[in-house]
Amino acid sequence: MMILWLALALSTDLPGIAIEQRLANRFTLFVGDTIALTPAADQTVRRFVIEAIYQPRPDPATALRGEYQVRFHLPDLAAMLGYPDRVDRIGVAVTPTVSPDSAARRLNQLAFGYRAYPSSTIAAESSQTFAVVSRFHRAIGLIAIVASAVFLLCIMLLKVEERRLDAAVMRMIGISRVTIFKAFVLEATLIATVGSVVGVGLAAAAGAITNWVYQRRFETSLVFAYLTPDIVALGVGLSLVLGVGAGALAAARLVRARPLALWRRAA
Amino acid sequence: MILSLVTKNLRRHPVRTGLVVLGIAVAAALLLDMVMLSGGLERSFSRMLLSRGFQIRLAPKGTLPFDTEATISAITPVLEGLAADPDIETAGPVVASPIHTRSADSLVALVGYGIDPAGQGLYQVERGTDLAPGDTTGLLVSGPVEAAIGWRIGDTVTVLGRLDPQSAEAAIQRRLVVRGAVRWLYDARGQRSVGVNFRVMQRLGRFPGRDVASMIMVKVRDGADVEAAAARIAAAYPTIGVNSVAAMVTQFRTRLAYFQQLSLILATISLVVGVLLVGTILTIAVNERSGEIAVLRAIGFRRARVIRMVMTEGAVLTVAGAGLGVGLGLVTARYLDAILTSFPGLPAAISFFVPDRRSLALSTLGLLVAGLFAAAYPAWLAARLPVAEALRADAE
Repeated sequence: MMILWLALALSTDLPGIAIEQRLANRFTLFVGDTIALTPAADQTVRRFVIEAIYQPRPDPATALRGEYQVRFHLPDLAAMLGYPDRVDRIGVAVTPTVSPDSAARRLNQLAFGYRAYPSSTIAAESSQTFAVVSRFHRAIGLIAIVASAVFLLCIMLLKVEERRLDAAVMRMIGISRVTIFKAFVLEATLIATVGSVVGVGLAAAAGAITNWVYQRRFETSLVFAYLTPDIVALGVGLSLVLGVGAGALAAARLVRARPLALWRRAA
Repeated sequence: MILSLVTKNLRRHPVRTGLVVLGIAVAAALLLDMVMLSGGLERSFSRMLLSRGFQIRLAPKGTLPFDTEATISAITPVLEGLAADPDIETAGPVVASPIHTRSADSLVALVGYGIDPAGQGLYQVERGTDLAPGDTTGLLVSGPVEAAIGWRIGDTVTVLGRLDPQSAEAAIQRRLVVRGAVRWLYDARGQRSVGVNFRVMQRLGRFPGRDVASMIMVKVRDGADVEAAAARIAAAYPTIGVNSVAAMVTQFRTRLAYFQQLSLILATISLVVGVLLVGTILTIAVNERSGEIAVLRAIGFRRARVIRMVMTEGAVLTVAGAGLGVGLGLVTARYLDAILTSFPGLPAAISFFVPDRRSLALSTLGLLVAGLFAAAYPAWLAARLPVAEALRADAE
């Protein structure tokens, strides 16, 4: 945790640092300004000149913490922290023909004092939090699907039951049960299709609002809500299956009943 | 009489009524879960922090306790100053460091806590005995340590201090006797933690300055103002971060604002679903029964009574759905809590969904109000039904 002090003095002999755009915006800092930094409130303050202002790559692991990033030349940071000739980690690029796993294994056998990990292992470890959030979203999504399925079933049942009189008349004038059933299922399909399209539009709007709100709130370009073709396909597919299924169920109940009974109930 | 009419009406379409009740139950379950999620995390966090009665934490400036490996330096005068404050009952320093032990031919990583047994708020002794003040050879172990390494109370074990990053060797090791098995209140699930005397851990952790602590826990006397004490300590030690439980809960809330917003959105959606279900069903039911309602009006039912009848129907549907939804909500809350509490590093004592009377009452009341609100439109339709016209239409 660095502590930043704004300094007024300017000097060209000071070591340079790069700061991220958000920090520059927060304290109205520009390239060439001098700032003072210290590792802790009760430790020595050192001055640095801002040599660059950069936009860090959006990272969901750090974006929501609201912390600011500052980049030093390695010896400057080591000197300030009192840890000369010491680093937290070393990035290693292997040649294209070498497997990162085997390179990591070889490095781990070479010496003590460090542990080598392939990037995929680190990515899997660091994405644990997001995996949990993703599982939570899936569980909530499942509850939402159950709720909407029941809702859809209710509406379709009522929608078809409203047509009792029509069904009774159609049966009395000689239209077959199958034709009436097909007509109601077709109607349910149309309603489910229109509902799905409207739903996709609503989801796109909700996603856009979510991204707009959170991107401003956390000052990041991260995308919080994605509406991918897979999600659209799942949503539309489920709505169609549930809508058509519910319509078919209700229509089957309707066409099974005798026309006179339908007439009486409708009247 | 109204209740009897309502029951008959609802029984007339059992499938429809069943589906509506089921729909409301799912909406009620989601609503209850979201009400629990919105405040449960805070209550659970606050309860965890106050479980041993320590209301203030001192941590390195700009950090939360155990957030980083930073330490508070020169703590002896700080502890003396705290002891002199008449409002402070106890101040217990804690120092934490990664340490190791050998099991077979492997090094096993442990989290080591250095504590002052006279003023500790980190653990509860489950078996064996606590460390006595000045006990520099005792060790406290957690369940995961017992399970992983097989240490038992009374065993003499070897603990290695912080490893040298170059040689992977510990410059210091200690032979310690396991005195007790404890439950560390802030540990993550499965975390292998041990506790030793504060001064012993300072040496094992190889801190650059010896007089350091990761955190100081402060217990304020009963009746004293916690926030005032925190403000006084902060003014006396400006280089140390002073956090009251209330302040930490606020910071925690900021970090996990996502869950509050999500719960607000989903709770709103579940209420909307409930309103739509009840509203749609009752509107259709009123339209279907327009003839009956006209007859009731013709034989002397007042408008207010018709309104009461439709509203009661809405309330009965909502209460039945809410009753079912509470059970469903408690089951799904346990499932959702199991998912969220698997966050890496989250203290095992934290729960996201905390069932309590307030959540139950709030969600049931919210749903009932929504149900009555949904019933208002069909009730209004029923009340303003033109009696003669409806009777004529029914007769035709």
